[in-house]
Amino acid sequence: MRIGNGTKLDALCGEYVLGTLRGAARRRFERALREEPRVALQLGYWQALFTPRYSKMIELQPSREGWKRLELELGLARYRARWHARAGFWRAWAVAATAALALGVGFQLLRPAPEPAPELTPLLEIAQLTGKVDVSRVTAKLSRDGRTLELRAARAVLAGPAQSYELWLLPAEGGAPVSLAVLGSLDARFALPPGQVGRLRTGAKLAVSVEPAGGSPTGAPTGAVILVGEITA
Amino acid sequence: MLDDKEVRRLLLRTAARDEGSAEAFERLYRSCAPLLLGVAQRVLGRRELAEEVLHDGFGAIWRSAESFDPVIGQPVAWMVAIVRNRAIDVRASHDVARVDSYHDALEDDPEGALDRLFDWSPDAGESEDRRRASQWLRDCLGKLKAAERQALVLAYEHGLSHGDLAAHLRKPLGTVKTWVRRGMENLRECVEACMVGPR
Repeated sequence: MRIGNGTKLDALCGEYVLGTLRGAARRRFERALREEPRVALQLGYWQALFTPRYSKMIELQPSREGWKRLELELGLARYRARWHARAGFWRAWAVAATAALALGVGFQLLRPAPEPAPELTPLLEIAQLTGKVDVSRVTAKLSRDGRTLELRAARAVLAGPAQSYELWLLPAEGGAPVSLAVLGSLDARFALPPGQVGRLRTGAKLAVSVEPAGGSPTGAPTGAVILVGEITA
Repeated sequence: MLDDKEVRRLLLRTAARDEGSAEAFERLYRSCAPLLLGVAQRVLGRRELAEEVLHDGFGAIWRSAESFDPVIGQPVAWMVAIVRNRAIDVRASHDVARVDSYHDALEDDPEGALDRLFDWSPDAGESEDRRRASQWLRDCLGKLKAAERQALVLAYEHGLSHGDLAAHLRKPLGTVKTWVRRGMENLRECVEACMVGPR
């Protein structure tokens, strides 16, 4: 519908702001508001002039279940930042990491110097693991004898206190993911389970999921998969 | 209650439908729901219906956030209109409030009602323009004829229709419609005169 001239439009805006525009007339006005920019423009003008600030005295506290119900009905969980992408998490992590570092240094001072680590066989890069949310890029390297896997994160990534990372092998030939390791950090070096030695070959994939502390309770990934990469070596 | 700038930012974030949308919408709810519930309660007079309207209203705010125009729209007024219109519709369909029951209506203390309902004091988060507009509006409401002012405030606060107003004020429908129309025209002329006139 075309809404009339300036005077008529002003009268409609005034009644809309006041709340006396009702029923079909209000619906027509609201449609025009969406379709005709000048209507929206004029209403914006009216609202700027005639929207006094309500007194705090009229405010009422909504019932406690109100938000929960809304969140559930609108399916808002989909639009939440995952824990590892939240700024608050990284801040908390930074504090925890600093504390851990301080503890670690203290521990090092008390402990006799360790034996030098034996020279490992050279490691070859086999995969780059990346995620949808840019958590960190992780490089996977495999020892020449195929028994030791090393993960190196471009940026340090540590699991929260109630969580672990679990590394999975998605076999080249298909089939269920196989757990390779449960990790607290994505910087790690560990021996592969003997049954999996030789299975990390081209076409297979590595994936990292977030699991409850100690790893997946079911033997299959249960939490969000944050990193995936194809083995190319 | 947040200032307009922050509410506008949260509405845009809500409309983005990305990973921060739920969090922005939740902040919007936490900060604006008490006001919007109060607005619904003024219209409906019944708490359980007001809570329902608040719920539906926020559902509508979530769904239509993308249609909010950040350049010309007034964010709080936009949300108030959504919730208030819903409350008005529910009120009409439930016949919830008898107009006779507005004991706190304006007859006794018209100035008091204006100041009970609205906060005219300058707010720290407000732009200079908003502050001036608010002052002009208060002054101009004071200059209206009493009958016009009463009709406008009753309609705004309680969501009364022309028919409700006529019944409540015991005046013919035509008279009440004229008060409302003339009241809004006078208010606008007065505020616009303030805008262009000497400050």
